[in-house]
Amino acid sequence: MMTHEKPALWWLFFFVPAILALSLFLFYHTLQSKSAPKEPKLINAKFYKVETARGQTLENKSIVGNCHLCHAYWVAIPKTNQTSIPRFAHAGIQLKHGENGRCYNCHQITDRNNYVADDGSDIMVQLPEKLCARCHGLIYKDWQLGTHGKWTGMWQAQKNGDRKTYTCTQCHDPHDPKFKYNTIAPAPVWPPKYIRTKLEHGPVGPASQYLIEDEPKEIF
Amino acid sequence: MADREYFDSLPPFESEAQTELSRRDFITGTSLAITSVVATGAALSPLLNAREVPTKDELLQKHYKQLTTEDKKTIFARLETEVKNDYGADVKIRDPQPLDGVEYAYILNIGRCIGCRKCVYACMKENNTSRDPQIQYIRVLKLNQGSVDLETSSHDYPENEAADPNYYYMPVQCHQCRKPPCIKVCPVKATWMEKDGVVVVDHNWCIGCRYCEAACPYHARRFNFSKTTIAPEDINPDMGYLSNRIRPLGTMEKCTFCLHRTREGKYPACHDACPTGARKFGNLRDPESEVRKILERERVYVLKQEIGTLPRFYYVFAK
Repeated sequence: MMTHEKPALWWLFFFVPAILALSLFLFYHTLQSKSAPKEPKLINAKFYKVETARGQTLENKSIVGNCHLCHAYWVAIPKTNQTSIPRFAHAGIQLKHGENGRCYNCHQITDRNNYVADDGSDIMVQLPEKLCARCHGLIYKDWQLGTHGKWTGMWQAQKNGDRKTYTCTQCHDPHDPKFKYNTIAPAPVWPPKYIRTKLEHGPVGPASQYLIEDEPKEIF
Repeated sequence: MADREYFDSLPPFESEAQTELSRRDFITGTSLAITSVVATGAALSPLLNAREVPTKDELLQKHYKQLTTEDKKTIFARLETEVKNDYGADVKIRDPQPLDGVEYAYILNIGRCIGCRKCVYACMKENNTSRDPQIQYIRVLKLNQGSVDLETSSHDYPENEAADPNYYYMPVQCHQCRKPPCIKVCPVKATWMEKDGVVVVDHNWCIGCRYCEAACPYHARRFNFSKTTIAPEDINPDMGYLSNRIRPLGTMEKCTFCLHRTREGKYPACHDACPTGARKFGNLRDPESEVRKILERERVYVLKQEIGTLPRFYYVFAK
């Protein structure tokens, strides 16, 4: 021990710092996991609200279905060359219903509180499906079966009130039926390290659009 | 005497010289001992996280199929207290039984899905899935028109790429198959198919090996890598034991067709949330149900039909 050899236990110079570093690393990991987790955000309620594709715009409309507010009183019947031009309170309406460009194809010209059937008789405003069925008969049949459209409630409706069926105009705006639903929920959130965004070894051929080496390109 | 002289003439034992402890040796020995103890302590520190160590009741809990009604009452009470302690929310856990003569089927109208993902978030809200890391049971694929080519599909398209008429959208969730590969591979039989067709998981029996996740051809199963993170106001307090309770760390979870709702006659959460009415649900054994009528009339597609899982989730191309 007292000779001129290397100091005793010389390998401790490497071993002790290595052990210290290892324990520091482990402590660091423990300290990290013991930190308080941040409070998760609530899911925005509009992403799980039960509504139809027209739900948001319908909420803001107060005159829909309330034609009698003005038409309870006698209003003049327009001339033939003006039956496609919305006037007065309806001037803001743009009819984009395909080939159907005449207002009085659907609305009863002699009684604007009602819709009109094929034979000229009235259809109540509470039954828009009878009106739409005039041209969209196959869709109407599908709607009655449940293939088309939306209904909620109980999956085995046994009594009144078990099933709430949404009628045509609750999803489709009759003057502009194309869906413009814009409550789109965000994409899934993945930690970036799980998302492979580029080839790791460069393109390997025409199939590299779909393959990374031999594995199909997959992200979680 | 000669022996004594002989022994005296020998050099002294090494052990005598070594009983003297030099300062150098003392310091090195002590520091080694301290650092090794510290390193062991740090390595074992995850055990301090008490949640990972099960309580006696949890450890001795039997498989769901062997539980009596009293067992279930005590277990549900214990789970409700755990949720209250961990998350601060009052919940009610119950166990609705499968209805007789019922086999659920789900139909998704690809012609009407616009890829808005409301079903995904309604499912998260209803089923108390973890928000961070985010677990979603439903995955909406965006596919090119013209074929069902899953390899060129996208499942993380951003919001501004939804409702695009040049593509079509196909949500995928657990198909509750009639021949599920996932229940065949479970080594502990923690997952099984119930009488009404729903494939369920007993989360207190699941060991978290993820074989079922590997076996599922639709990637419907999700694993809890961390403890579920959810805000107490966002928790749905109406919980079913097999469906939407807050899952423990290290167990599998998946869509259960909201059996806490459907076994009481209601529709699943995703069905109600869909704004275009692309989702249809019902009892396949009832000839008057909409699912029977749709399957009899529309063009039906089954995802990965060649694998033979016979799913109870059908896609239709309808108007």
